[in-house]
Amino acid sequence: MIAILPTLAEPQSFSLSEKLLFAALAMASVYSFWNLFGRILNKILQSKKDSSFRLFPITKRIWDFFWEVLCQAKVVRERPLPGLAHAFVFWAFCAFALVTLNHCAVAFGIGFLNPAGEFARLYFYVAAAFAFACAAGILGLFVRRFLVRPKWLGEQLSYQSGVIALLIFVLMATYLAAFFVTDAGPDARILWWVHTLTLLTFLPLIPHTKHLHLVLSPATVFLSRGGFAQIPPLAGDEDFGLVAGADLTQLVSLQAYSCVECGRCTEHCPAANTGKLLNPKEIILGVRAYLNNLGPASDQPLLGKYNSQEAVFQCTTCGACEFQCPVGIEHVPILVGLRRGAVNTGAWEDEHGGKLFLALERGSNALGLSPAERDKFIEKQALPIFDGTQEYCLWLGCMGGYDPKGREIVTAFARVMKFLGTSYGVLRKEKCTGDPVRRLGNDLLFQQLAEANLETLAQNKVKKIVTICPHCVRTIQEDWKEYGAPPQVEHHSEFMARYVDKLPKQPSEEKVVFHDPCYLGRYRNVYDEPRKVAALAGDLVEAPRNKERSFCCGAGGGLAFLGEEDGERVSHKRAAELVATGAQTIAAACPFCNTMFRDALAATGESAPQLLDIAQLTARGLPE
Amino acid sequence: MKIIVAIKQVPERDAQVRINAAGKWIEEVDLQYALNESDAYALEEALQLKEKHGGEVTVVSAGPERVGQTIREALAKGADRAIYVASNDLGSRDALGVARLLAAAIQPENPDLILTGLQSEDLGLGQTGVILAEVLGLPHASLILHVEKTETGLTVKRELEEGWFQTIELPTPAVLTIQSGGNKLRYATLMGIKRAKIKEVRQVTASDLGVDVPPVVLMEGVTMPHKQKSTQMLGGSPKEAAAALVEKLKFEVRVL
Repeated sequence: MIAILPTLAEPQSFSLSEKLLFAALAMASVYSFWNLFGRILNKILQSKKDSSFRLFPITKRIWDFFWEVLCQAKVVRERPLPGLAHAFVFWAFCAFALVTLNHCAVAFGIGFLNPAGEFARLYFYVAAAFAFACAAGILGLFVRRFLVRPKWLGEQLSYQSGVIALLIFVLMATYLAAFFVTDAGPDARILWWVHTLTLLTFLPLIPHTKHLHLVLSPATVFLSRGGFAQIPPLAGDEDFGLVAGADLTQLVSLQAYSCVECGRCTEHCPAANTGKLLNPKEIILGVRAYLNNLGPASDQPLLGKYNSQEAVFQCTTCGACEFQCPVGIEHVPILVGLRRGAVNTGAWEDEHGGKLFLALERGSNALGLSPAERDKFIEKQALPIFDGTQEYCLWLGCMGGYDPKGREIVTAFARVMKFLGTSYGVLRKEKCTGDPVRRLGNDLLFQQLAEANLETLAQNKVKKIVTICPHCVRTIQEDWKEYGAPPQVEHHSEFMARYVDKLPKQPSEEKVVFHDPCYLGRYRNVYDEPRKVAALAGDLVEAPRNKERSFCCGAGGGLAFLGEEDGERVSHKRAAELVATGAQTIAAACPFCNTMFRDALAATGESAPQLLDIAQLTARGLPE
Repeated sequence: MKIIVAIKQVPERDAQVRINAAGKWIEEVDLQYALNESDAYALEEALQLKEKHGGEVTVVSAGPERVGQTIREALAKGADRAIYVASNDLGSRDALGVARLLAAAIQPENPDLILTGLQSEDLGLGQTGVILAEVLGLPHASLILHVEKTETGLTVKRELEEGWFQTIELPTPAVLTIQSGGNKLRYATLMGIKRAKIKEVRQVTASDLGVDVPPVVLMEGVTMPHKQKSTQMLGGSPKEAAAALVEKLKFEVRVL
């Protein structure tokens, strides 16, 4: 019978040679750690400053640090079982801070946690509980990585991870074993040395591996850009985006070095899930490889050896990657930055992309149609013209003004507003908000469109905008800020949700599945309002990937305007998922999602559910 | 190769035009302007020749102050410098007058090649480039889609009717009028616009150039096209109706 002794064994009286040996090894370990870590830190600090970074307001940063780092909330919520295992490992590390300090002090006879004392005993027991959870956790993670082998951890087995797992396990095991031996015995001393050597081996390995995140990620989470998928303004006349190493900013470099290679980004990426080249994890690791090999001052193109232009232009900017990242990497600004570097310098040659840019250089809308078409639509539907006296300006957007389905959505929403007695008008002239060119990285065109539109709004004295397109909402509210002061803008789901009590509830047992648009959900945090509205028309069912985990329709990032995609179509994959819920109706809240699914459902055939915007669902219930 | 491209700023395509009070031209007040489409293809051809053979591309444009915007756009797309012929009365000159003006601006440059667009989107005369060649005493070819530099001069591909093309060889210096569609146009980039800021735009006036010729062709007036609607119902079986439709399209409407 092994007796668990009431206290942790602490070896007594280290000889001088032992002390010297320990000191020497410790110094070598710390030196080795700092040698590499210092170089990495230098690379980050030598990168360009982020001109638009603001530390304040600081409350959200502190909260995010507390919630995401200390409480490991995102780590656990998005991948529960492995996330919990990791959380235990992390919490054990935190709990062990004093233990480790004391462990080292013991060698020099200045241990400050007296195992016989009340506080120390309690602390060591608590640490033991964590050690146990940590050991179990690390064992589980080891099994997951080497036996289960989930796809998202990468094709190649990481032996590096195996070594680190072993070291962590040994640290915990030696700690726990110390409860079973006596202070005076040789076992205590052996355990102490094994624990020490493991520790001193672990330290220098940190900067060599993805375990650098131990040091960096708390800072990375704290130093986020301050908004979701936030594209920074270009800084001055010589800034064209992320062209070469010299354009990488401190935040980008910090984020590149923080990557834990967990693959959560890739797991949720619509492009990676449909056989395309793009892999968000590889984009970040590509930037890291660039920094490791060429450094932050290099003039070699970023889209070259370590990252490909083709992959970068397959991104729909859905933001699932950025949303999932537990260490605070902001993928969208990096991807858009790489695109900017290619487009602003003319290095991107794409037939459809070129056509889109030329259409908007000369004309007013992304579809390349005559503005007379929009005028005809307004006249035919007798939409009121905004004259400064109405409360709302109804912004049609390119889809609402020119696309047949988009126009149906506008017409339906106009009926709803008429029913509610809302005072609104549409502008005589609109130019595209510039969303597709903004996400593709064409800052020249975006500036022209934003400035022209801001002037139109100012001239017409527009105070409040409501629109049917989440892309317009995002671009007007956030991206136009770079060139002026946009008026208040909201999405029609937010508008209708406010009046849901006045809108008729349709008696129906129809099952309705709502697809969360990326630019309304993840980008704007609006999940409940469209559901309140859709619930008027039937019984809501949920898709397996819903709300923050909603799977993109494939249109964003300017991709709706580019050519045929490789691999499986993103829209078809998502449509299949929505159809599989068994719903009779798919409810959309974005004209782009609507267009993408209309095409995908046509392939499904006769049995396909009907596809309606929430405005159309609501209008259906209105009296004739 | 030293290339000159003559470009024109025209009202934006799909602009809603109204006839002005005098009835001799369109109301310019609310219009948006853009680079003439075939001129954009001329510029693109010139830039591609420069990229392949080295040299310089200079754009020349005449008109009021607003033309500066189009000149900058051309510089942003890659032209090296520009000559701006300031003229507020371009509309009162005929094609001969405009060609004489441009010729006076271009002559001192001694270019190897002069490119113009095939025709403008507003007047659509298709004459300026051809008259320019005559005034300068240079060989010319029109409706050109593609230009290649050879040992002895140029080999060019010319568009004819019904999918036929003609290959022409001519010496330099020469004038070519370029048809739309021969190349993929490049888009304006931020880098291009920033670089354009420091490129030279030399301004001259008609009197500087010593050109003041009264027009020989006078514009009497401009009217909107008269829209007429007439519907004919074609009866019979689908086969009969289709046959009748083809008859009408061939011989009455003459689009087949």
